[in-house]
Amino acid sequence: MRSRVFLTLFGVAALSYGQASGPASLGGQQNLAHKIDFPHDAPVTLAGDEWGGSAATVRGGAYAIDVRVALSLRNASQRRIRGITLTVLAQEATPGGKGSISVPSLDVAPGEIFSVRGDLHLLRPIGVGVSPMVEVSLDGVLFDDLNFYGPDKLHSRRSMMVWELEARRDRQFFKALLEQAGPDGLQKELLASLARDADRPQFGVQMVRGRATNTDGERDLKFAFLKFPDAPVEPTSGMARIAGNEAREPKLVVHNRSPRSISYLEMGWIVRDSQGREFLAASMPSEMRLPPSSSSQLLQDAALRFDPRTSVESMTGFVSSVEFGDGSMWIPNRAELNDPVLRRVVAPSPEEQRLVQIYRKRGINAVMEELKKF
Amino acid sequence: MTHPAQTDLALYTTGDLPLWRSPLVRLHIAGCASCRSWIAAFDSDRESIRRLAAEMPVDVNWDRMAAEMSANVRVGLEAGECVASRVRRPALGTGWRVAAASAGVAVLLVSAWWLNMPRADSVALSRAMQKIAQAGPWRGNGLALDDRGPTVEVSASGIQLQQNGGTLGMSQGQQRPINVTLSVQGSARARYIDTDTGQVTITGVYAQ
Repeated sequence: MRSRVFLTLFGVAALSYGQASGPASLGGQQNLAHKIDFPHDAPVTLAGDEWGGSAATVRGGAYAIDVRVALSLRNASQRRIRGITLTVLAQEATPGGKGSISVPSLDVAPGEIFSVRGDLHLLRPIGVGVSPMVEVSLDGVLFDDLNFYGPDKLHSRRSMMVWELEARRDRQFFKALLEQAGPDGLQKELLASLARDADRPQFGVQMVRGRATNTDGERDLKFAFLKFPDAPVEPTSGMARIAGNEAREPKLVVHNRSPRSISYLEMGWIVRDSQGREFLAASMPSEMRLPPSSSSQLLQDAALRFDPRTSVESMTGFVSSVEFGDGSMWIPNRAELNDPVLRRVVAPSPEEQRLVQIYRKRGINAVMEELKKF
Repeated sequence: MTHPAQTDLALYTTGDLPLWRSPLVRLHIAGCASCRSWIAAFDSDRESIRRLAAEMPVDVNWDRMAAEMSANVRVGLEAGECVASRVRRPALGTGWRVAAASAGVAVLLVSAWWLNMPRADSVALSRAMQKIAQAGPWRGNGLALDDRGPTVEVSASGIQLQQNGGTLGMSQGQQRPINVTLSVQGSARARYIDTDTGQVTITGVYAQ
């Protein structure tokens, strides 16, 4: 009798628990408290915001936050804006609690309004409180004179500088092509870019840091390097440890052959597997202080895990961007990027993709008009 | 011809056959000489026993005799216990009730927990259990400390954050990126394009 009463009470308790926590775990949502915080002297001001579809859902011990935001921003400065990066923060210290939205290849005149849309999925521990759930702030704005405004906590200046330099390089290339080969030549190149985009392989790659791994059958594999004669940095040697479908602890030695000190280097890491598949696995950014004519070893405490069927056969590295001590940057030119491997595996610049999309949507004349703007 | 069982005939003789079967047996006996002879034999036996019983001493105390016989049987059993190896019978008592109640509570608990646990956590738990089983630290191979901390994964679908084998989420869930890149420093970027305006948006997620 006593056990029957106990069971009944417990059943009621269990069902109550189910009632209390069930809706949340099955998609129960709450309104998304948010905050948009721009400094008073920011070169952009908020003209409007939309948060439709944004929601926070309880998942285990965290809120899974869908941020769907569309901001209308006004250029409050006297210069043309070329790029902007916003920080979207749910929780600073939580893995997956921080995101960013960047828009490169802009051309916003003073006083003009432009839109920034983002769709991010972030995490926030439940115990942190709920108000505001998400905070949007300005990380940086890049102007047409390559000046930068913003706290740059996400190092967005560097990224936006690279995108802007790539945009200038590619527009110049297409303009030159238009002059030399006319609209037909430009159209042919845009179609080729479209075809490369469609054929570009995209394999799943997972990045794990600080990982102790099973070292059975591990071996060292050397990097091969693509030579860019124009690059201020030359990679001289490099290797990574390979075990099955994993590559870890890439180690590189680079030499600064320029007369300027270098503060940042980003290298691309291309992997070829035993089936002959080749793809861009990851980028390897490194902060450094490398004086002219000196060498340095770069070590990354990271492991890449590929598809289980991938057995790494060879690896290729290439210099994708360099930042000098004075903040100026170097990127590969179009001739250097014309390498067959790079053309196959590395995506074109955001500007080239934008121009190709304009061509797809509005035709060759719209592209020609777009090129005339710059 | 099917005859009634002898036990039924014996019971019929003493009038102990159930009421609903008695008419059937009576009907059969009326037409069956063999069964009638059995009835006659049973009657004769009863008469003999009654006669023998009548010859027993009149002053026998049957109740006392039965009590003595029971006592003797009990003494015999206890004596047997003393010389034979003792076999302990499983103590059932109230223990099985407690065990059954505990099992019921456990089933209820696990069911309630499983039904209410987020799917990602269920997957992570099941993968963790599988890994423990596969790694087999009891086999002396050493346990590979796999997936320590969150991981970031890029694929053609976008960026995924994962922890303990479970997916925490994917950025830009609605739209397919035109390009995704992974940094060994623990961040990933996905590039999206507005098909109407051509505006490129790049979202970044930071796992570290």
